[in-house]
Amino acid sequence: MFSMPLPLFAEQIINGIVLGSMYALVASGLTLIWGTMRMLNFAHGEFYMLGGYFFFLLISSLGLPPALAVPLAISLVFLIGLAVQRLAVHPLLGRPQWEFSTLVATLGVSIFLQNAALHIWGERFKTVPYFINGTIDIVGMRLSYQRLLILAVAVVAMLAMWYLLRRTRFGMALRATAMDRDAAMLYGVNVYRVFTITFGIAAALAGLAATMLASINSISPWMGAPLMLKGFVVVVLGGLGSFPGAIVGGIIIGIVETLGVITWSSQWREVISFTVLILILWFRPWGLFGVKES
Amino acid sequence: MTAPENKKPLNNLLILIGIAAVLGVVPLVTQEAYFLHICILALLFGALASSWNLINGYAGIFTFGHQAFFGLGAYGSALMSMKLGLSPWVTMWIAGVMSAALGCLISLPVLRIRSIPHIAIVTLAFAEIVRIVCSNLTEFTRGELGLWGIPPFTSFSLPLIGPVTFDAAHKVAYFYVVVLLWLLIVGITYWILRNRFGFGLRAIRDSQIAAESLGLNLTRYKTMVFALSSMLAGVLGAFYAHYVLILTPSSALGIDIMIQIVAMTLIGGIGRLLGPTIGAFILTFGLEWLRGFGEYRMLIYGVLLVAIVMFLPKGLASMRFGALRRRKSTPSP
Repeated sequence: MFSMPLPLFAEQIINGIVLGSMYALVASGLTLIWGTMRMLNFAHGEFYMLGGYFFFLLISSLGLPPALAVPLAISLVFLIGLAVQRLAVHPLLGRPQWEFSTLVATLGVSIFLQNAALHIWGERFKTVPYFINGTIDIVGMRLSYQRLLILAVAVVAMLAMWYLLRRTRFGMALRATAMDRDAAMLYGVNVYRVFTITFGIAAALAGLAATMLASINSISPWMGAPLMLKGFVVVVLGGLGSFPGAIVGGIIIGIVETLGVITWSSQWREVISFTVLILILWFRPWGLFGVKES
Repeated sequence: MTAPENKKPLNNLLILIGIAAVLGVVPLVTQEAYFLHICILALLFGALASSWNLINGYAGIFTFGHQAFFGLGAYGSALMSMKLGLSPWVTMWIAGVMSAALGCLISLPVLRIRSIPHIAIVTLAFAEIVRIVCSNLTEFTRGELGLWGIPPFTSFSLPLIGPVTFDAAHKVAYFYVVVLLWLLIVGITYWILRNRFGFGLRAIRDSQIAAESLGLNLTRYKTMVFALSSMLAGVLGAFYAHYVLILTPSSALGIDIMIQIVAMTLIGGIGRLLGPTIGAFILTFGLEWLRGFGEYRMLIYGVLLVAIVMFLPKGLASMRFGALRRRKSTPSP
């Protein structure tokens, strides 16, 4: 790794950032759900998986262009997210042991969706073509247009999220709910509506990441679990509930993995990020951006 | 500290002895291999879920990586008996000690965390590391191709009864071994619940702060329960290895095992002495009965998990959903 020429090294760093930006999308959904509902969503990987399949079906069966298929696919995932929250999460919130029961319920949803996908779409891996082919050479670095496009989409999505959270009434309601649920309620915020919509948005972000990565990774019923675990690593690194933490954490993990894979080998990729996770929880359990409490 | 199992200690003991006696005569009634196989699986998972229940139901620490200890015990015992030529009767316990050591190791980061999601994440990540390492070290474990050629338990001879042989066709001997293992684990749990250690564990579950302020050494209690629970899981894993005689990382270390443990424990009743065993029997026999739906097995598990926490949070052993009393949630661990 250290004998690598500088442009190649820089190229790998950029690849790491591209990958990390997708981790950040998945993780920001987890962190939004945690921030508002104080629960861990074990079905998050399945939203990612459904995003991939919807995108594949819209492109291959209906022949839609990616520019149309992406928004449609993430809208569908958004609706599924709303349904999951209403059916499996909403009834448990506020009940005794809800921290634990929501975790188990979303785990059940995850198993259900994963196996439903297996029965509906089969075991065969699906692939979609690149949106744009070709590469560009910048100061000795060779970067594919596809990866640059992914990065651009991630940046746009993050800016849109920032706008939503900071500049809209819904964003204000969401932040108020995250800060103090009871106070938000007193001020007339319908926190249960906020919960449901937040869940939908989180699902849509995971779906967006899937549509972007669909051409690089293949689509299968099992594609969600590794991404969800990666999302967990990222949110723990960044601090659960912190939106900037999810972005910075995602990019750090993306770079660490990319460099780790060149140094060792790709079959150890997950081991690297899980080890990082355990070490963080050991030494700084509240993460980089989280607030240390009690 | 009002866990119902303390109110009628004698009743529980009598029930335990009664169940053991009933189980003991099963092979005298039928020796049908298929039926015994299902019983062995139900008892194995009942015992495994009971060992998980020690940490989760009594100490109230929700871990999500129990499959790591089961799998380590399975692979450890299988490899030791294959490569070193030791008897499975010996390697089984060495594997248990190895799992206990691993349990102590993972308890280190867990000791510092109190938030339920963080503990779930760290234990799951740990179990995934063990699974990936196991499937990558192909020169030892043959990875996903599967480790085969594991020796079955060595046969021996008992006075009065005669030779006891362990082979695939005769499951009676295996059945008795798993009954003893189950009895060992439930017995240990029963014994712990009645002594100081068990009261300490439940005090930790109900309120860590209160327990600590009463002078309980949280670190010692938690490390001990982790070591004990993972040791028992390791021994069960070793039994599994010498029973099925073939291991793959996904069958012995996969998250499916953890999901089964959670489902069984919740159905039966978490934090109940016999809850996990009841759940294991219901799920194992129930899913055999639904055999026509075999391929929908995991689909049913998924729905079941949602349905249980939604409609039957206390489990079938009913009474109390004692574990994990609601705490004021804080976003940090």
